[in-house]
Amino acid sequence: MGKVMVLVEHRRGEIREITYEMLKKAQQLDEGVEAVLIGENLSELKEKVRPYCSKLIMVKVEGLNEFNSEPYQHILSQLLVQRKPKILLIGHSAQGMDLAPSLGAALGCGVITDVVDFGFQNGEVWAIRQVYGGKLSAKVKASSETVILTVRSGSFDPQGLLAFKGEEEEVTFPLVPFPYKRFLGFLEAPKAEVDITQADIIVSVGRGIGGPENIPLAEELAKALGGVLACSRPVVDKGWLPKDRQVGTSGKTVKPKVYIALGISGAFQHVAGMKGAQMIIAVNKDPKAPIFNVAHYGIVGDVLQVIPNLLNKLKERKK
Amino acid sequence: MQLVQRFELYACLQCGKCTGGCPVSLRTDLNIRRIMRELIFGEEEVLKKEAIWDCTTCKTCTLRCPRGLEPSEVIVALRATLVELGRVPKTVIDALEATYVHGNPWGRARQKRTDWADGIKVKDLTKGEESEGLYFVGCAPSYDPRLQRVSRSIALIMKVAGVDFGILGTSESCCGNEIRRLGEEGLFEELREQNKEKILSSGVKWIVTTSPHCLNALKNEYGLEGIRVYHYTEFFLELFEEGRLPFKNPLVQKVAYHDPCFLGKQNNIYDPPRDLLRGIPELKLLEFSRSREISLCCEGGGGRMWVEGTGRGTRNSEIRVKDAEALGVDIIATACPFCLLTLEDALKTMGLDEKLQVKDIAELLSEALGLEVER
Amino acid sequence: MNVIVCLKRVPDVAEIDLQVDASCKSIKTEGLPYVLNDWDNYALEEAIRIKEKTGGKVYALTVGKEVDEEVLRRALALGADEALRVWDPSVSEMDPYVIALLLSRTIKENEIPFDLILTGVQAQDDGYAQVGPILAELLSIPHVTLVTRLELYEKKARVKRELEGGLEEELEVELPALFTIQSGINEPRYVSILGIKRVAKKEIRVLDLGALKLDPGEVLPKIKVEELFPPPVGEGAEILKGSLDEISEKLLEIFEKGGVI
Repeated sequence: MGKVMVLVEHRRGEIREITYEMLKKAQQLDEGVEAVLIGENLSELKEKVRPYCSKLIMVKVEGLNEFNSEPYQHILSQLLVQRKPKILLIGHSAQGMDLAPSLGAALGCGVITDVVDFGFQNGEVWAIRQVYGGKLSAKVKASSETVILTVRSGSFDPQGLLAFKGEEEEVTFPLVPFPYKRFLGFLEAPKAEVDITQADIIVSVGRGIGGPENIPLAEELAKALGGVLACSRPVVDKGWLPKDRQVGTSGKTVKPKVYIALGISGAFQHVAGMKGAQMIIAVNKDPKAPIFNVAHYGIVGDVLQVIPNLLNKLKERKK
Repeated sequence: MQLVQRFELYACLQCGKCTGGCPVSLRTDLNIRRIMRELIFGEEEVLKKEAIWDCTTCKTCTLRCPRGLEPSEVIVALRATLVELGRVPKTVIDALEATYVHGNPWGRARQKRTDWADGIKVKDLTKGEESEGLYFVGCAPSYDPRLQRVSRSIALIMKVAGVDFGILGTSESCCGNEIRRLGEEGLFEELREQNKEKILSSGVKWIVTTSPHCLNALKNEYGLEGIRVYHYTEFFLELFEEGRLPFKNPLVQKVAYHDPCFLGKQNNIYDPPRDLLRGIPELKLLEFSRSREISLCCEGGGGRMWVEGTGRGTRNSEIRVKDAEALGVDIIATACPFCLLTLEDALKTMGLDEKLQVKDIAELLSEALGLEVER
Repeated sequence: MNVIVCLKRVPDVAEIDLQVDASCKSIKTEGLPYVLNDWDNYALEEAIRIKEKTGGKVYALTVGKEVDEEVLRRALALGADEALRVWDPSVSEMDPYVIALLLSRTIKENEIPFDLILTGVQAQDDGYAQVGPILAELLSIPHVTLVTRLELYEKKARVKRELEGGLEEELEVELPALFTIQSGINEPRYVSILGIKRVAKKEIRVLDLGALKLDPGEVLPKIKVEELFPPPVGEGAEILKGSLDEISEKLLEIFEKGGVI
C-alpha cells in the first residue's frame, strides 16, 4: 500500500493519547509506520513515541515549543512532497482541525476528517465517519496520492501497541517566519461559571436524587467523566442547585454527547431541553418514567445505589 | 403609533386595580400599574424591565380596569417591541424558532405530531377524508406523554359518543396563542394563515380544542366565520345532556376544579366543566375559595412555560396544591394542559404527589366511561 | 471593518428517523425541517456585532440552491449589507474543497473587500470542519479554528481558541484572516418573522460557474461519499439488567465506546 505516517500530537511536554490510538491502527496497516515529531525540546518526548514506530522523524525547530498550524503546515508540506506517504494521520483535535484541511488544500490532497475507521482498498483510501449527529455513518473515499485523515479520539484502543524498530531520523527545515499567527499562551478554564450548554458530558439530577446531601455524589460522577452537573427544575425550585444548571424549556437547552439523567422522570418541559443529546442514559426507580422513552440506555433502580457502585468501578479502572 | 396613544395611557387613573389583581405581583417585580404610568415618560426605560416576561397574560388586569384600558395588551406590545429589537430571553428565542421550524414551541418533530393517536383510528382531514367537525389537538397534548392521556381520552370519548370528527394530522401547527402573547405577531400571523387554510379547506362546521389557549386563539383571534369553536368541556356537556356519555364506573373521589384563566375569566366558561364533573357518579365536587373569576393563575400562560422573569419564592401552583391539601381533596381537576403540567410539577416540589393527583376532566370522564386510554 | 460570513442551510434532524435514499449516498429530504447551521448562527451574530461596533459592511455568502436563500434572508434581516449565492447545476458533487473553491472565487471575482472572514467551526449535517481552513488557504490568509473570543484591533486580532478539557489558548493574528467560530461565543439575537418579511425584496446576487470564471472540470471534489448507512444500534431504551456490578460494567463499556473515558 505505501506508508502510513502519524503526526505526533503533544502539548506541554506530554504526548496526547490520540497519538497512541493512531499508532495502534497504523501498526495494523503498515509494518513501516513512521511518526513525525515536531517541536523544540524533543529529547524526552521522542522516547515516548519511538518504541512504537518503525521510524521517528524528528523535526527540531527553535522556538516552536507548542503547536502552531503555520510552521507545522510548512514542515509537513515539504515532508509529504519528499516522502509521499499514502496516508498521513492527524488527530481530530484542536490541533488537527486547525492543520489538516489547509495542509490538504495546499498540497491538493484529499482530506477526510473525524474518521472512526479507515483502510486501503483497490488503490483508494476509505474511511468511515459519522454524519447527522451520529444518526448515520458514511463511507468516504479519496484517491489522491497522499490522503490526510483526522482520527476521532476514542476510535481505536491503544492497548496492545506493539514494539517496533524505533529508528530515529533528524531532519531540519529552514524556519520560515510566521508573525501573522503568533501563539501567545494557554489559559485554564475559569472555575467560577459553568456553561452547561457547551458541555459534552452532562450528569443531570432530578428530584429522585433525594436531597441536597446527595448532590455531591452526582457531582463526583460528573467530575470522573470529565463532565458538568445539571438538573431539572424541581431541583432548582428546592434550592438544591442554582438556576444556571437547569435544563428545560424555562432553563437551558443542551446538546451534549452524553446526558446521564439521574432520578429525572422525564417531564415534557425537561425533555425538550435535552432531547438533542447524542446518547442518553437514564436511571430511575419507576420503570414507566417517561425518560425511558427518550433514553438510549436505561437502568431501573435506585440512583443512590447505582452511582456509588459505578464510581467505584471507575476508580478501579483508573488504577 | 406610540404605545401611549395606542393604549390611551393618559386615561389611566392609577387606581391600582390591575396590580391588585395581578397573580404575579407578589412574587415578581412586575408592577403593571407603574408601567402604565412610566410609559408616558418614555418607552426605553420600561423596555429594560426583565419583569415584562413575568406576565402570564391572564388578563385579570384588563378585566378589572374601571377605565376599560388593556394593561395586558400593553405588556404584549412591549414584548413585540423587544422581539423586533431581538432583545428576547434565550428560552423564548428557542421556543419561537422551534415553532417556526417545527410548528410547535417544544421543538418536537412535526412527523411525530400524530403519535398521540397510536392505535386509535382517527380521520385525517388533510388526506382526503371528511367529517363534520375538527378536533384541534394542540402542541403539548400532541407531544407530551403525560398529556397524551388527555388527547387520547378526548378522541376516545368522541368516538364512543359517535361524534363525526377528524384531525389535521401532522399539518396541524401551533395555534399561536402563546406566540402572539410572547410578542411575535409576525409568526402568529403565519401560523394563523397556515392553520386557517387547512381548516377552511377541510369544510368542517365546528372545532373542539383540548386547550383553552387554542380555544382563545381559534375562537377570538382567527376570524373563522361560520365555524363554531368549542372547548371540549362545552362540547362534552352537550353530549352528556343528550345522554351520549354512558358512565359505567363510579369515581369515589373528592375533587376540586381549578378554573384555567383562558377558559374561565377570559372566555366565561365556568359551568360546563363543573356540570360534567357533577355528572360523574359518586364524584364529590368541592370548590376552592379562590375559584371562578378569581381563580389563582397557575403561571403557565403568556409564554411562561418557556420563560421566567424575576419570580422568586413559592409559586402560585405550589400555593394551589396546598389549598387542595387543606380542602381535603384527592384530585385537582383541570381542563387546561398548562395548568395540569404546572400543578403536577408543584405536587412534586411540595412532596404531595403521594397524597394528591392532578387530572384533566377528560381523564376522569374516560375513567367513568370505562375506556381503555393507555396504548 | 468589513466582514464576510459564510452560511449553510442544513436539515434539523433531532428526533427524525433519517432514511437513506435510493442512491445510498444521501438522505431522503422530503418533509425535513431546515435551519441555519448552528455554528454559522454564532458566526453571523459575531459578524453583525463587529459591524455594530466598528462600522463597515457584512457580506453573507452561501453555496446552495434557491431554497437555501432562507439563510441569506436571515442575514439581511439582521443587517448584513449584501448577500450572494453560488450555484451551478453542472457541479454534480460537492465536498468541502469544492465549496471552499466556489466561495474563494466568489470573493476574488467580485473583489469583495474584507478584514475578516467568519465561518462556523463545522456543519451540523456532515461535520467535516474543513471549509473554513481550506478557504483561508485558497485566499492565502491566516486562519484560526474553534474561536471562542475575538478581539479586533486595527490590523490584527487577538483570539481565544478552544482546546480540549476546558483548556484554551490565545493567539495574535494579522488581518485579513479567517476565523471559524465556536458555539457559545455570543448569544445570537432573535430574528422576527416581520424582520425577515421586511427584507423579502432585497436583492440576492446569484452566481454560476460562468460568473466565477470556472470550468466544471476545475470544480472536482477531492473526497467522495460512497455510501451512507445506519449505525448498528438497538431500538428504544435498552434497559440494562443484572446486579449492580454487572450494570456498572456495562456502563463502563458504553462510556468507552462513546469516547467518554
